[in-house]
Amino acid sequence: MSYENKIIQLKKMLGSKKENVVEKPVFLKPAKPHYIDNWVKSGLSVIENDYGVVLKRVVNYPLNYKHGLYELGELYDAIEKWETSEVGHPFSLSFDDDILFFDTETTGLRGVGTHIFLLGLLEANDDEFKLTQYVLADPSNEAALLFESKFWQKPKTIVTYNGKSFDWPQLESRWTLHRDTIPKLSHHKQIDLLHSSKRIWKNNLEKMKLSTVEEEKLGFKRNGDIPGFLAPIIYADALKSGQADSLMKVLYHNEWDLLSLITLYIHSTNLLVETKLEESATTYTNVGKWFGDLKQKNESERFLRKVTNQFDENESGLANFYLAIELKRKGQYEESASCFERAVNNLDVKKQVKAYEQLAMLNEHQFKRFDKAIQFSLEALKLVEKANCYESTQKMKIIEQFEKRIHRIENKNIS
Amino acid sequence: MMQLNRKKSVDELIEIWKKDSNFKQNILHMETINAQPAQYAPFPEQLHSSIKKALMERGIEQLYTHQRMAFDYGISGQSFTAVTPTASGKSLCYHLPVLHQILNDPSSRAIYLFPTKALAQDQKTDLNNLIESMDEEILSYTYDGDTAPAIRQKIRKAGHIVMTNPDMLHSGILPHHTKWVSLFENLKYIVIDELHTYKGVFGSHVAHVIRRLKRICKFYGSDPIFICTSATIKNPKELAEKLTNTTHQLIADSGAPIGKKTFLFYNPPIVHPTFGVRRSSVLEVRDLATELYEAGIQTIVFAKSRVRVEMLVTYLKELTKKKIQDESIRGYRGGYLPNERRAIEKGLRDGSIQIVVSTNALELGVDIGQLQACIMTGYPGNIASAWQQAGRAGRRQDSALIIYVAGATALDQYVVNHPKYLLGSTPEEALINPENILILMEHLKCASFELPFSMTDTYGEFEVQELLAFLEEEGVLVKTSSNWHWMSDRFPAHEISLRSAAQENVVIIDWSVPGSSKVIGEMDTYSAMTLLHDEAIYLHQGIQYQVEKLDWEEKKAFVREVDVDYFTDANLAVELKVLNEDKNKAYSSAQISYGDVSLLAIPTIFKKIRFNTHENIGSGKIHIPPLEMHTNSTWLSFDMPENWSEEMLTDALTGAAYSIGSFIPLYIQCDRKDLSVVPQVKSTHNEKPTLFIYDSYPGGIGLSEKVYEILDRILEESIHHVDACPCESGCPSCIGAQDSLQNNKDKVVKILSILLNEMK
Repeated sequence: MSYENKIIQLKKMLGSKKENVVEKPVFLKPAKPHYIDNWVKSGLSVIENDYGVVLKRVVNYPLNYKHGLYELGELYDAIEKWETSEVGHPFSLSFDDDILFFDTETTGLRGVGTHIFLLGLLEANDDEFKLTQYVLADPSNEAALLFESKFWQKPKTIVTYNGKSFDWPQLESRWTLHRDTIPKLSHHKQIDLLHSSKRIWKNNLEKMKLSTVEEEKLGFKRNGDIPGFLAPIIYADALKSGQADSLMKVLYHNEWDLLSLITLYIHSTNLLVETKLEESATTYTNVGKWFGDLKQKNESERFLRKVTNQFDENESGLANFYLAIELKRKGQYEESASCFERAVNNLDVKKQVKAYEQLAMLNEHQFKRFDKAIQFSLEALKLVEKANCYESTQKMKIIEQFEKRIHRIENKNIS
Repeated sequence: MMQLNRKKSVDELIEIWKKDSNFKQNILHMETINAQPAQYAPFPEQLHSSIKKALMERGIEQLYTHQRMAFDYGISGQSFTAVTPTASGKSLCYHLPVLHQILNDPSSRAIYLFPTKALAQDQKTDLNNLIESMDEEILSYTYDGDTAPAIRQKIRKAGHIVMTNPDMLHSGILPHHTKWVSLFENLKYIVIDELHTYKGVFGSHVAHVIRRLKRICKFYGSDPIFICTSATIKNPKELAEKLTNTTHQLIADSGAPIGKKTFLFYNPPIVHPTFGVRRSSVLEVRDLATELYEAGIQTIVFAKSRVRVEMLVTYLKELTKKKIQDESIRGYRGGYLPNERRAIEKGLRDGSIQIVVSTNALELGVDIGQLQACIMTGYPGNIASAWQQAGRAGRRQDSALIIYVAGATALDQYVVNHPKYLLGSTPEEALINPENILILMEHLKCASFELPFSMTDTYGEFEVQELLAFLEEEGVLVKTSSNWHWMSDRFPAHEISLRSAAQENVVIIDWSVPGSSKVIGEMDTYSAMTLLHDEAIYLHQGIQYQVEKLDWEEKKAFVREVDVDYFTDANLAVELKVLNEDKNKAYSSAQISYGDVSLLAIPTIFKKIRFNTHENIGSGKIHIPPLEMHTNSTWLSFDMPENWSEEMLTDALTGAAYSIGSFIPLYIQCDRKDLSVVPQVKSTHNEKPTLFIYDSYPGGIGLSEKVYEILDRILEESIHHVDACPCESGCPSCIGAQDSLQNNKDKVVKILSILLNEMK
């Protein structure tokens, strides 16, 4: 029978038409699911609190535990580097931070019907790292899970991968549903490594999936991992069948994610604080640009100069471009101009036009070399006219600007 | 010499037409409705002083009686529905209680629900002006697909008044209610503007969206009241109560003044007396609109279908062909993209557009300023729509002209011959059917997604525990010790569209320019079967496109701009099977039943029809898989009258189906597409000649059940009209166009009379 037919059969079940007016009930502690013992056999332990039951898995790691290229304890070296460096950075951690690496597994991607069924927390302690995973016993026991996460206690520094736009809002949403029952969610400092990875590896990594970053940068390859999109189905199956064997694989998946968060933090710190690592020109240019946007001028210049000194002109086009802008701002016009000249043939069209425009400006206003100013403006015009990356109105506007510029310089040149 | 294109006023033009003997004989009736004075009531004493100040600034020193009643109900916490004609100041009916409440308790929130995004945008401007002159800090925002992500957060947390549409509420707000805590905790008012548009399938869906909304409000501890405003329909209170599942008070009488309106009932001349063929109403409208254009009178032309809108735009653009970049004649209908529509609305307001040709998209209260004349190409299907269309003319000025141009259909001809029907009779009922099990199940999924059901919960007025158990079997819910929880990575709100029977739309892609294909519109699957098949000519803003490839699987139609002198028209064949009979009345030679049926819609052939002459210049087959559907139907089975051949019966049934189908909209307010009438000479279930009248939506929406109840009135009206039609042996105005000169009219009357006499 088709779905539609089945439903039409159901029509007969449409019962009484009275709306039950039920007062909002006070919190009733939900019953323990019948399959709990099975789940315990798979390797989970049971916690009972005022709001129900929740399942737990704990793993401890010594500081010298190796995950890919790094030992976990190198996190403390990374923090040390930030502490001794004079550079301020939104990404930096200090020894005062109460650090918690955080990742969830959910039954969907959005909306109130999406449950968090696994909260993975990895604490950095002085002598070891401790992973605690809390598993939702069933959706009626959700308040118990949230309460156990202790996110209502004192503020921590939470490190995530895409947590700012996914895991945390999702947690807030679940919390809202139980806001009359459990203590208020505290405000925590958030560091999202997806944001930093995007800044660092833009145009270098094609995909920013954590597993890609692991393989390409962190020297870790997963074996026997389940794909993330299966997680919702596996959890639903564990509820229905009462068996948690497959569910454990989701827990391992989550564990790897969390361990990689630590090594990703270490690796990124090394890239940002030192210039020792072997990385591409693109990556170091990205880092330089990031410092520039953070108004850390000296740091920015340091990274950009590393690129312009170590790499060919064709690889360091962008670095020269950003460096030139910085030098111009500092009043080092001659050096700025030579950076623009080195950059100009190694850029995309829009930036090329910008570079010619800058060169025209420097020559017109600073050096009073009007012939050169006109020459650069003409180069830009030629590019814009044959470019297809502009909208037509925008293109007209740019052409008009250059024509005005040329006209003005010609007048100056005569007088 | 008199200048040819001299500007004229409406009254001058009417005088000229009155003296024109050719023109005069096409006017069956002219009626002027005189101005009516206003009825006022004083401001309520407790009305907040800032509101008073703002009203005074606008020159309002007292309220219309209906506005005052609205305020009194609103602040006493009583849900109500106000029936308000066009331009009666209806928005104050909800603004006053809502603003008053917010000023007295700034934590209060309100949701304004408009049937379309355009209406919400329009009302926002209006409301913001009012708030500005109040000098108060009240935040009102539209929240829809166009809202910038950057301000969404602010709207959720701080917006006092959120103006949105049912679709956005359904898929953008309710499934994310945890982001709207301050709205749902403090929700005091839910305003539903244009209540009468929530009918049929769409209305049934929205009834569930509202039940879901109420369920969420209860979770957050709020209990808002409903304020509805409606155009004139027969059952506003009943509709509001069914839509909101809440008891309403009714404000039936408007205190607003009415301006002078002149109605012309225009019937195109007969060009072929034997077959009763009249000149095409589209061509007549083209000529009338041309005269209005030349007189400089800003006019809105309504046409019933998208195709007719596009034909008229094509014809009328001839007027401006020689002017460069002249945009004074435009089309406006569903399927245009939002920015295109915004530009048209603006052009109407600032006067740069002089004629707009529209489908009923513009029936609603979109503020397009002063139009002086309105032409209706055919009867829009119900009185409420007709008055809404007429209300487009003369909203803010003295003399308005409304021309009703009858088409060849039975209903059009009925209306042009019975002006009293339009000018004086009770309007139709608007029906919704939230009990439709398919619609209910879809929304029950959404409701489960939004909040878990307990083992004792009901949903709205429905007992749903068994249905929840079914959803558990389907694998989208899990049952815990106390609740049914959603447990699937699907997002159920995205699996339902509130607007059309078919759940998916076909996207129309113009690939005329290689490498820069672009989407120019979309269409529901049911319409697409007959409008976007391979080789169909699709008209968009007066430009012709030919469908080169319809990818039915992917729901994409690829079109290319063409220049041809024809349009296409397609046929749909329907097969019907009775599944279950719920009600039955048996008579000696006929019986009437109501129940569940299964039907198969099969697109068959299309014809190419030449512009202007409307001759058939070719045809082809349509290759689209049939669409299967289960729905409700009323059916009439007859015994074969003595001495009749099967062929005679076929003709009689076809004619009867045509005339009955035409008259149903006189009694039930529904979209003409929501109900279909199909004859079968030998029905598969009882082998008898049978007429099926079914709901064109899976599961049915209660329309055919209503037909079952009032069938005697429909039969009576149909027989009377066919009998009185001046044609000799049947024409498009009574039983449909006839191929032969056999007298099928008598047969139709006979077969329907047999049944009617037995029913009495």
